[in-house]
Amino acid sequence: MSEKRIGMIEKSNNKRQRVTQDRPEFSINDHHDVLVEILRRLDGPSLCSAACVCRLWSAVARNDSIWEELCFQQVSPRPSLSLRSVVSALGGYRCLYFLCIRPVLARLPKLLWTRDQLQLSLSLYCVHYYERLYVGAWIGDAPPSSLMFLRKPVNVV
Amino acid sequence: MKRSHQETYLEQQEAPSVAEYGKKLEGSSVGGGDDNIDELLAALGYKVRSSDMADVANKLEQLEMVLSNDVVGSSNSFLNDTVHYNPSDLSGWAQTMLSGLSYYPDLDPTRVCDLRPITNDDESCCSSNSSNKRIRLGPWCDSVSSESTRSVVLIEETGIRLVQALVACAEAVQQENLSLADALVKRVGSLAASQAGAMGKVATYFAEALARRIYRIHPSSAAVDPSFEELLQMNFYDSSPYLKFAHFTANQAILEAVTMARGVHVIDLGLNQGMQWPALMQALALRPGGPPSFRLTGVGAPSNREGIQELGWKLAQLAQAVGVEFEFNALTTERLPDLEPDMFETRPESETLVVNSVFELHPVLAQPGSIEKLLATVKAVKPSIVTVVEQEANHNGVVFLDRFNEALHYYSSLFDSLEDSVVIPGQDRVMSEVYLGRQILNVVAAEGIDRVERHETLDQWRRRMGTAGFDPVNLGYDAFKQASLLLALFGGGDGYRVEENDGSLMLAWQTKPLVAASAWKLAAELRR
Repeated sequence: MSEKRIGMIEKSNNKRQRVTQDRPEFSINDHHDVLVEILRRLDGPSLCSAACVCRLWSAVARNDSIWEELCFQQVSPRPSLSLRSVVSALGGYRCLYFLCIRPVLARLPKLLWTRDQLQLSLSLYCVHYYERLYVGAWIGDAPPSSLMFLRKPVNVV
Repeated sequence: MKRSHQETYLEQQEAPSVAEYGKKLEGSSVGGGDDNIDELLAALGYKVRSSDMADVANKLEQLEMVLSNDVVGSSNSFLNDTVHYNPSDLSGWAQTMLSGLSYYPDLDPTRVCDLRPITNDDESCCSSNSSNKRIRLGPWCDSVSSESTRSVVLIEETGIRLVQALVACAEAVQQENLSLADALVKRVGSLAASQAGAMGKVATYFAEALARRIYRIHPSSAAVDPSFEELLQMNFYDSSPYLKFAHFTANQAILEAVTMARGVHVIDLGLNQGMQWPALMQALALRPGGPPSFRLTGVGAPSNREGIQELGWKLAQLAQAVGVEFEFNALTTERLPDLEPDMFETRPESETLVVNSVFELHPVLAQPGSIEKLLATVKAVKPSIVTVVEQEANHNGVVFLDRFNEALHYYSSLFDSLEDSVVIPGQDRVMSEVYLGRQILNVVAAEGIDRVERHETLDQWRRRMGTAGFDPVNLGYDAFKQASLLLALFGGGDGYRVEENDGSLMLAWQTKPLVAASAWKLAAELRR
């Protein structure tokens, strides 16, 4: 090979090296708010998958606003702010999703998710909260079971 | 075998932290699933117990090492030819893979692995077995073999003989032929014991009730332990839709009646565990325009005064959590007709009054004249709406045999629905059956004042309410929609149905109506 060509190759290699050295390294794990914004746009299974990736992501995924977004994804008129305070008082959106909404969606996959279904899920969630308050007092260790009918073994078909 | 590649990829990336994550998860489980299945993985379709997480992670690590150590060609046939019957059971799958791969250290590519199918709690298998034992002719599962079909036909025959024996025994009791009745009851008992499924259980309870009637052992209602009673009712609430349907439908009617009210006062004629009110408070809290103030007057038995106060306290906690102004009064009385209008302390200028009765009106029929007095009291407090939910059956006929036949039909349907619906743990179903069994005992064996389970049909109640000066209120489409959705969640293979009956709603199991919910307002000329 001619010296000129070797020189050109060396120059382009150096340029490539320089470019990679100049570009700053970006890690999503350093920017939790961006991560939250991305996770908010996921659907249920993807979000659960993301929450299983590592401890950091699992901790970030505990942010209730992500689950709030998931619960209201298909509800067309956005519910009021007072709903947020009620749901957080009853245990938060993440619990609401796992206890009520996901089983309902799994049980009735063809369901169009509207305010009515959300309202029913909320009512069931409220009953569950009350049962924890009331039953826990006199039955002792027995877990509240008003949502027992929603629990079903998960099957991969 | 894409799945194995996926697992190994995850393992390579995060091998140490998965095991640590599993250990961390052991301590916490969101929401408290009763067998601690990890919810995040459950949403992805894998069934892994939180307590097993670390173990599964270790197995996956080992599997990854084995797979990467093996020559790819030699392990190919094992990976390609095994059949996994339950891929959601990660733990079992990993175990099988590990044992399979280490069993065949140098693989013969022509050898096909014949793995034992992973036996797991296969609920669908159990339910298909129990459906064979249903007494009625129904659509059988496709998987029923010819052998079990034969046994099914046999069971049906014993079932018919059982019903015939029961009815014959009841006839004998009706005719006061007690020696014949005694012989028949023993026969029923032995037939019922050999009959599996809902029919056998119902028959056992009816046989016991008949025996008590013959030997005149009246179950005294005073001997009942109230906390046991509460436990049974709570369990019945959890495992079947009847009480939920009653509460949710009544709540919907109440909500529609109080849309513009600034203050709501609800009189609950039977407070029990107060399971109806959390959902109403939550709905009121989210009312557009803000929640009204909510006052609840709960009526209960004098023996339970402390329990009622406790309940009021818990409801107050809930009300505070959801942001509803709440006031609670407890009223104790031995008998509902003893209530007087001024006991309720109504505030008509600031509160809309609601009277609610879920399965509380029929015991009042035990004493003649009482129901008229109670309805007069209700009318006197001038409620905006009265919600009534009752069993849809005529168990109050004068002739014993008619009552018996009606009750047999009714409770057979009820027990059938418990048998067929969503998989409930065996113990909970037994408790629901005990709860219903006590009703059966009362309908069949008790008489006079003791017989409190005096169910009447919706038409009979309509006549009573009309005579007392009430007009019916239509329950509306929202209530119907909500009830249908609730029942769809309960499964039962579409056995549950909501039916509309002239503005009232009925919950039916396989076309037999079982519970009727209706709403009433004061007749036009009596309203202010």
